[in-house]
Amino acid sequence: MDVVFGFVGYDFAVLVADRAATQQIIVQKLDEDKIVELDSTKIMALSGPKGDCVAFGEYLRANVRLYRLKYGHELDVSATAHYARNELAEALRSGPYQVNCLLAGFDKLKNEPELHFMDYLATCHRVNTGGHGYGGMFCLSLFDKHWVPNMSRAQAMDLVDLCVGEVCERLVTAPTDYLVKIVDKNGCETIVYDATDRLKKRRDLMADVAARMASMN
Amino acid sequence: MNGPTLDFSFLDATARGSMASKHVDESLDAIDGNMHECNFKAPAVEDFEGFQREVINYVKPNHGTTTLAFIFEHGIVVAVDSRASQGPYISSQTVKKVIEINPFLLGTMAGGAADCQFWQRNLGIQCRLHELENGKRITVRAASKLLANTLYSYKGKGLSMGTMVAGWDLNGPGLYYVDSEGTRLKGQRFSVGSGSLFAYGVLDQGYKWDLTVEEACELGRRAIYHATFRDAFSGGTVSVYHVGANGWTKVTGDDVGELHFSYYPATPVDDVDAHCGGEGKKEAEARAATEASAMET
Amino acid sequence: MSIMSYNGAAVIAMTGKDCVAIASDLRLGINQNQTAAVDYSKLHKIHDRLYLGLTGLIADQLTLAQKLKFKHDMYELRENRVMSPKVFGAVVSATLYEKRFSPYYTEPVVAGLDADGKPYITSMDLIGADASTDDFVVAGDNVESLFGVCESFYKRDLDPEALFEVISHCLTSGVNRDCLSGWGGVVTVVTKGNGTFTRTLKSRMD
Repeated sequence: MDVVFGFVGYDFAVLVADRAATQQIIVQKLDEDKIVELDSTKIMALSGPKGDCVAFGEYLRANVRLYRLKYGHELDVSATAHYARNELAEALRSGPYQVNCLLAGFDKLKNEPELHFMDYLATCHRVNTGGHGYGGMFCLSLFDKHWVPNMSRAQAMDLVDLCVGEVCERLVTAPTDYLVKIVDKNGCETIVYDATDRLKKRRDLMADVAARMASMN
Repeated sequence: MNGPTLDFSFLDATARGSMASKHVDESLDAIDGNMHECNFKAPAVEDFEGFQREVINYVKPNHGTTTLAFIFEHGIVVAVDSRASQGPYISSQTVKKVIEINPFLLGTMAGGAADCQFWQRNLGIQCRLHELENGKRITVRAASKLLANTLYSYKGKGLSMGTMVAGWDLNGPGLYYVDSEGTRLKGQRFSVGSGSLFAYGVLDQGYKWDLTVEEACELGRRAIYHATFRDAFSGGTVSVYHVGANGWTKVTGDDVGELHFSYYPATPVDDVDAHCGGEGKKEAEARAATEASAMET
Repeated sequence: MSIMSYNGAAVIAMTGKDCVAIASDLRLGINQNQTAAVDYSKLHKIHDRLYLGLTGLIADQLTLAQKLKFKHDMYELRENRVMSPKVFGAVVSATLYEKRFSPYYTEPVVAGLDADGKPYITSMDLIGADASTDDFVVAGDNVESLFGVCESFYKRDLDPEALFEVISHCLTSGVNRDCLSGWGGVVTVVTKGNGTFTRTLKSRMD
């Protein structure tokens, strides 16, 4: 059960993904990177079966780079989204790539960040906030309440805190290790995010509530 | 089976049935007897589960729902939406999903509408009988256990209920989650229904023990509102109840159609930052300034 | 649940006097119950006087819209004129029937004015059965409701503003009984003399 979500800020876009590679009931690896860097200003978070994710991610990255070599300029973010969607749509009728993705990037021409939401059924839509899977569902209402246009990086990290805190508290077998990638016009910055402290804080809070309730009686 | 047979006959009568019959007149027996599962005849079919699956299509399910309840310093807040859906069709936008069991007890409704309504009314009867028998109000713990016992006795027969029993008794506030699988959980914070994931997001991150009554009611309302926005099967109105030492009161009932636009009034496009509080521009300018001064030195 | 109502949609087209209107809801749903976005218009502009509304699976909506826009633009380049709505309707129908045995899961609505300013609307099933009428057409996962309101509110020969009012009310009340569509709407009215206007509707957001 991958946890993948993202949103846009003032001059950057954020993607967050957990780092656990799982197979059925086994966690095989705790330092997996689920966010592919397509090029310096475009990143894509993928969730789904590992094989499909890697195949699709590498295929896209190779073709995005090939395009630059061939034509001497970069695909912009929405063009990349359309290209990726088209690949998903074609795959849909011939044994689909079962990958849900979020494509984030900085469009240098329009000078603004972009986030594109895609699922394995080849839905594609430009959004301000998005998430996949059950983890994403917990985040969506938090985005609706706390996301505002033109967020600063500090505000963005606060929002990531809220989302990760919620996922850790509520999602069955929620991972505690995450990668946060922030993409802007200068490139992509990776932050290793350990949610253990955050989770502990939440647990302490709830223990405190339970204690205060007990003292009430 | 070989070997000595154990005498299980003491299990045949319910505890209440055997006790009550000693000193209660026949008119009470009739009410009491209704609660016994034997009064609901099983259909004379071989494939019971197949029959249930077929029949469930004809009853009005109430599957899409968001309900929540939480305990805080000044009592309990219970908040619910009001949509009833049959598949993608909205069969009602004005369903009452909080069931007022008695002045100190509330139940919430998720799952089958008829199941919830019937068994919580039934719970009301049982609670009243308890009061008459014992001369004092039933505790939330006992009331929720009565409901859980009833539901557990029907486990596997196709009941569908996810309910929270909230109330105030001599121990203070009490909140239990009870469902048709027989689960019964004591807790401080629950949300039930298809929109519960969305409600949990807002509820968990806004929750504190020392909320005021107004803040707590607003938190409940806000959490349900966000669930109605994101969940297709929740909507209608948001009803908020508060349970305190003097029993429950209904605090608000807002149409989501209007609530959305009161939370998100139209924002002037040229003044988005001031209205919404995005600080990205300020931060970018500050960063550019420090970079510029670094270049100078 | 059918794949046709996986994402949820409602589209209506109506004719007026020398004008035609097309409206769609704005919800983009995934996994049946989850609303992923509320600014997804199902209307696609083919040219100034011709619009295409697509319901059904979003993947096929996007694919088909791109394909049809491409076909139209190639026609425009080759012939140096735009397609009339009727011709475009035939192209849509033929394109859908090409996939007779593995169809695009989308039901299109075509609305436009021809060169004389005469309105033309049509809707199709997912393999291109053309059902052109002269009053209104609806498509989506809640057509019973939409038909109901359209039958009672629609009048012939309305002027553009009146037509906008009627189609807006039909859309907003038509989706009120459907879980999977709504969350605001968008209406485009194409007129003979005064160009085209598009307005966004405010409606219930649940």
